[in-house]
Amino acid sequence: MPRENAIEVQNFTKKFGNFTAVDNISFAVERGSRFAFLGPNGAGKSTTINTLCTVQEKTQGDLLIHGHDVSRQQDQVRRDIGIVFQESTLDPKLTVEENLRLHCDFYRVPRSEVQNRIGFVLELVDLLQWRKAPVGSLSGGLKRRAEIARGLVHFPKVLFLDEPTTGLDPQTRASVWDYIQRLQQEKDITLFLTTHYMEEAEICNQVAIIDHGRIVAHDSPANLKHDYTQTTVHLDVREPDGVRNYLSHAGISYVEEQGHFSFKAQQVTESVALISEFKDSIQDLNIQKGTLNDVFLSITGKEIRV
Amino acid sequence: MTRTILAILKRELIKLSRDKMRLFMTIFMSALFLFIFSFITKSSLSNISQPLNYLISGVVIMTVFQAAFTNSMQILEDISSGFMKEILVAPVARYQIALGQVLASGLVSVAQGLVVFFLGFFLGFRPDFLHAVVMVPLMFLVGFTFGAMGLFLATVTRTSSRFQLLVTIVSLPLTFLSGAYIPTMMMPGFLMPIVLLNPLTHATAVFRWMALHMESLPVAELIRNGVAFSFQGFTVTPAMSALLVLAMGIGFISLAVLKFRNADFSHVEIFKKGPH
Repeated sequence: MPRENAIEVQNFTKKFGNFTAVDNISFAVERGSRFAFLGPNGAGKSTTINTLCTVQEKTQGDLLIHGHDVSRQQDQVRRDIGIVFQESTLDPKLTVEENLRLHCDFYRVPRSEVQNRIGFVLELVDLLQWRKAPVGSLSGGLKRRAEIARGLVHFPKVLFLDEPTTGLDPQTRASVWDYIQRLQQEKDITLFLTTHYMEEAEICNQVAIIDHGRIVAHDSPANLKHDYTQTTVHLDVREPDGVRNYLSHAGISYVEEQGHFSFKAQQVTESVALISEFKDSIQDLNIQKGTLNDVFLSITGKEIRV
Repeated sequence: MTRTILAILKRELIKLSRDKMRLFMTIFMSALFLFIFSFITKSSLSNISQPLNYLISGVVIMTVFQAAFTNSMQILEDISSGFMKEILVAPVARYQIALGQVLASGLVSVAQGLVVFFLGFFLGFRPDFLHAVVMVPLMFLVGFTFGAMGLFLATVTRTSSRFQLLVTIVSLPLTFLSGAYIPTMMMPGFLMPIVLLNPLTHATAVFRWMALHMESLPVAELIRNGVAFSFQGFTVTPAMSALLVLAMGIGFISLAVLKFRNADFSHVEIFKKGPH
């Protein structure tokens, strides 16, 4: 039985004056799944998130979160979602714990649970020893983790992460991402994130590629790579003549440079057959799978600008 | 609903307790004003029976006014720190946020007013116990009114630099045309309409009336002391002044709530990072 959708967007358009930031997009996100919006800056990612989070009014379309309309049932929507914005939205003068407590008051977390929940989320993001520290004194990575903890403390059904790891060093980025995955598995919440990091999109169930306000592709990372990229095989052989003949016969176009061949493999079986045929002659072998970056490149004709 | 308002109150009090600079400024500024104006008024207030009490009650009310204004200004800091976004996506009604913010301004300004109160006590300010007790809710009323006014101005201007300018433009005339420092009796007649429209005039008058135990004085005497006003044959008594302050407070908070509710804040800097 298919699971219900956490988010449903139908024909959503958002204009700023004459500029169309989001142009008639539709998509759905299954409950409990991870969904990524992948695209360059200015593609319409944040506009979509801001509209889903009720901080911006749509120009047109229907946007539902757990069945509630984001324009007409703001209160229900706000109760169901947690948000980690691109920039810090913590009160820098309060401590981590005070920020979380305030959040619990706003979201009416039962008073008897507040203490436990704060402990739970702070442990999840490994921030227990910082609970009494003023947020303003924390480093960027710690702030981000505090922000994530706060977004979770009311146990949202859907968690929005707008570029959750932008501006962090690679190590912190990896650990923040680790926390996100941990909590998603633990709490079975739906994750909606925007990113321009391929690695982050890679581990999502579904990826929508957005460019100039339009969704240009939407599928699982594996399917996207299958549909839009080809595997490249690199071969170093002692006897290039045989390989050359083989490839020409098979009608595969290739590039050759001093015994080094590279060609696009349409089918896995093709390359397996070739490799077993010349296994004694092969000196080096490298099979390169397509990446989401290649997908993006092949769809939009450009690299993601960071 | 009360939980949200209480949470906002608590936040403001925590922030005040950590803001040593703000507390220091309160004490420093009021000490300075007490010092300077006590020289000026010594001669000019010769017809007033209790010049020290007269002056201190004025400084207390000025402190309450400034504190409430400054506190409401914090909302601009919340906008620039990004915290406003957290508030705006929370499942709470906007009027609760506005109300919580203004109540907090009232409370914070009472706290700062009390600091001056005690400072004055050392200089010989001696209201009796009953008066002192009544003056606290009065300070709160004044703080509430100007907190509401400050919040309204903040929601209208939205950027810190413009608000600073506006605060100066608004608060300077309010201050000097209120009788808090310069007795209204000394002002030229053509300024009187402005003086009487100034909520701070009425706040000062009521507060002074209380602080100087003038309840039993006849109206003519009250007018001579600058706590009642006669304008074109119409007399404004301290009781009417109190009601006027309350009315203006309710007026400003209504405006602020209205402004707050309708504002989508999407053209505020933090949301303005462009069409992503």
